[in-house]
Amino acid sequence: MANEKELLFEARKLTKHFGPTVALDEVDFKVYRGEITGLIGENGSGKSTITSIAAGMQPATGGEMFFEGKPHRPSTMIEGARLGIGMIVQEQGTVSGITIAENIFAGEEERFRVGPFISRGKMNAEAKRVLEDIGFTGADPSAYIDTLDMQSRKLVEIAKTVYNKPEMLVVDETTTALSQHGREIIYNIMRKMKENNKAVVFISHDLQELIDICDTLTVLRDGKLITTLDKERMDEATIKKYMVGREMKGDYYRADYGTKISDETVLKVDRVTSGSGMLMNFSMEVHKGEILGIGGLSHCGMHELGKVLFGEEKLLTGSVTHVASGDKIENTQSAMKHGFGYVSKNRDTESLVLTASIQDNIISASYDRIAPNFVMTGSSVRKFVDEQVESLSIKCAGVQQDVQFLSGGNKQKVVFGKWIGRDCDILILDCPTRGVDIGVKAAMYQLIDQMRKDNKTIIMISEELPELIGMSDRLIILKDGAAAGEFKRSETLDENSIIEVMI
Amino acid sequence: MSEAKKKVTAAVGGFGRYAPVIGLVLVIVVFSALTGGGLLSVVNLQNMANQVIVTALVAIGAVFVYGVGNFDMSLGGAVLLSAVLGAMAAVRSGSIFLALAVCLAVSALLALIKGLFSAYIEVPFFIFTIVLGSVISSVVLVIMGSETTVYLKDAVKPVPSFDFTQMTIINVICLLGYFAVCLFLFNYTPVGSKVRMMGGNRISAKQSGINDKKMQVLTFLISSVGIALAAFILIIRTRTIGSQTAGSTGTDVMIALVLGGMPISGGPKSKISAGLVGALIVTVLNSGLTMIGLSTGVIQIVRGIVFIIVVLVASFSYRGRLLPR
Repeated sequence: MANEKELLFEARKLTKHFGPTVALDEVDFKVYRGEITGLIGENGSGKSTITSIAAGMQPATGGEMFFEGKPHRPSTMIEGARLGIGMIVQEQGTVSGITIAENIFAGEEERFRVGPFISRGKMNAEAKRVLEDIGFTGADPSAYIDTLDMQSRKLVEIAKTVYNKPEMLVVDETTTALSQHGREIIYNIMRKMKENNKAVVFISHDLQELIDICDTLTVLRDGKLITTLDKERMDEATIKKYMVGREMKGDYYRADYGTKISDETVLKVDRVTSGSGMLMNFSMEVHKGEILGIGGLSHCGMHELGKVLFGEEKLLTGSVTHVASGDKIENTQSAMKHGFGYVSKNRDTESLVLTASIQDNIISASYDRIAPNFVMTGSSVRKFVDEQVESLSIKCAGVQQDVQFLSGGNKQKVVFGKWIGRDCDILILDCPTRGVDIGVKAAMYQLIDQMRKDNKTIIMISEELPELIGMSDRLIILKDGAAAGEFKRSETLDENSIIEVMI
Repeated sequence: MSEAKKKVTAAVGGFGRYAPVIGLVLVIVVFSALTGGGLLSVVNLQNMANQVIVTALVAIGAVFVYGVGNFDMSLGGAVLLSAVLGAMAAVRSGSIFLALAVCLAVSALLALIKGLFSAYIEVPFFIFTIVLGSVISSVVLVIMGSETTVYLKDAVKPVPSFDFTQMTIINVICLLGYFAVCLFLFNYTPVGSKVRMMGGNRISAKQSGINDKKMQVLTFLISSVGIALAAFILIIRTRTIGSQTAGSTGTDVMIALVLGGMPISGGPKSKISAGLVGALIVTVLNSGLTMIGLSTGVIQIVRGIVFIIVVLVASFSYRGRLLPR
């Protein structure tokens, strides 16, 4: 069997451009039946891009695909699913406001038709069976999906995907959000698929689980396929070497170690429980001039912490205090009065007005500086904006250009410009390098480091451990809305010891 | 996007900016021809000027409200209520200054109600304004009781009246003054910039430190001044205010804004000139359609069709980026 592997999916010279960004660069990728194929690479390396094109979520810019020997060009996810590609994604894929059973059988209600009616009883019974099939017991399929926690919702999604009996199952960074029990369920499903001569594509950041589960492992970097390793050659050191490549050396992140953090506290979070309940009785102190990293799994409360610090989220209990003035931070206005700035994780929906010009976006947090006497003159606006566009080297046709036509990296630079122009003392950055290409990333890190040297305080919330390890003076890991561990900056700090605390 | 395509887009974009003005010239030319020049006769020009003033005053102020994304359908009602109460004040006191003060107070009060609602209550704002509009007309009926019209000639002492020249001066001062203030606020102060950002993305505006609630109330207050001036001018010009006064103002303003190039959902492409240019277009359109002998019903139908076509073209071109809205 091993020597006559049956090819299920093949991509030839698959290419994908997002504007000027090359997400995939002529990648040749093969998936065989009876195998679990791993995909690994840094964020933005193109892992999810391949699978999302294969599943029909987005079209390729160039190249060809074949599925079961036939040319494969799905135009929608539904078509992809019909052809036999099932996908479990990182983001939430269930629909709120309807029951668990309705989620599983969305679009297939006809199967439970009795006369002119849909039989809920039949649907629920079938749902129960489907859930138990994957080892998820104890759920009531007639309950609203909203009653389930994050992990259980994920399992419902998995049940739905597996129920459609895909030939090729894509598991895209799903496991990070799951506990050990949830992970076991996924591992079992993958192994079962393999036994039944189906194929699995498994995307993960967790090297150990990839090594344990996968038969082959393909490494991507910057949209290029670097190598494909078979079982014997899979060890962490080798994989990392291929993943990171050479250009990651040097000053990609900051280079200094052992820099002393000031004793001066600028910001105090005292037993905060947030309105959304994502933070529970959380306390911390932030020191002047430090880069404080905040990490954790996606629903640990770190993004809410960013909003809490900026006065954007209501607090049930506790307080956020600006130490120098003794003022409590209760809304955006009070935060900004004390020199806070906030870069949201959701750049396009929260940090920018996409249909507005670069100029309008950059000045939107600084009216008090540009127009202290209420009158906004063209020259003061231009001076303010030009300074930011120049110092951040924002690539644009002109400052009147709409932000929506910029690349991700340049958009993020506009957001940075908005706050740097204000000369913020405390900058809260939530996933500052999300969806930004390597070059801009490096520039951002330099910028953040420069701000640190200028004695600004930076709170960097991130889902990427390498960047947290590389940049932070201190790193606080959140879990279930509480601090689970704290790490000091060190050359020996590695991802594994952090991941242990995270999960 | 290729270089060539960029250039085309830029050129079309340049055209798009002047589309409302071109539209205005077009309706004037077309209806002048259809009416054999009757459209531009002295009598009709006076007639149209009277109508433009009221529509423009309300539409210019509405740019602030629509700009932040609040679709206000109670504008006509606000003019009516201000005018009725203002006229009643004039009748009781004989003072036109009191009438103006009452107009300002009434429309400011309505602005506060709208502001508080839009800032604190999570119901689509335009639904609230539909309800508010019909509540206002009922309130007017209740206030007026058995009478259907308030006559200034019934006042306790004679209310000053104005001849044509005086009236023209008042009209011009009100319109130009209000337009200039709004233009200044919208283009040369943070108020306008904040309005545009709020309309483009409320969340982002809030995260930039823009005080959302305060700004919304402010936009309604700015708009209320235009409403009050419109009501005041109606009082002193017609000297009779009835429950049907300003009946078509609400829809006229909406059509005017759309024809004037105002994005229906507000945002960064909002512009003050939309209120003025749009009011001119809609007035010429109304007048021209009447003059070529169409009945009121048919005019309403034509206006509706024009409105829908403009909205369609605007949304198509948004996707194809023909007109930068």
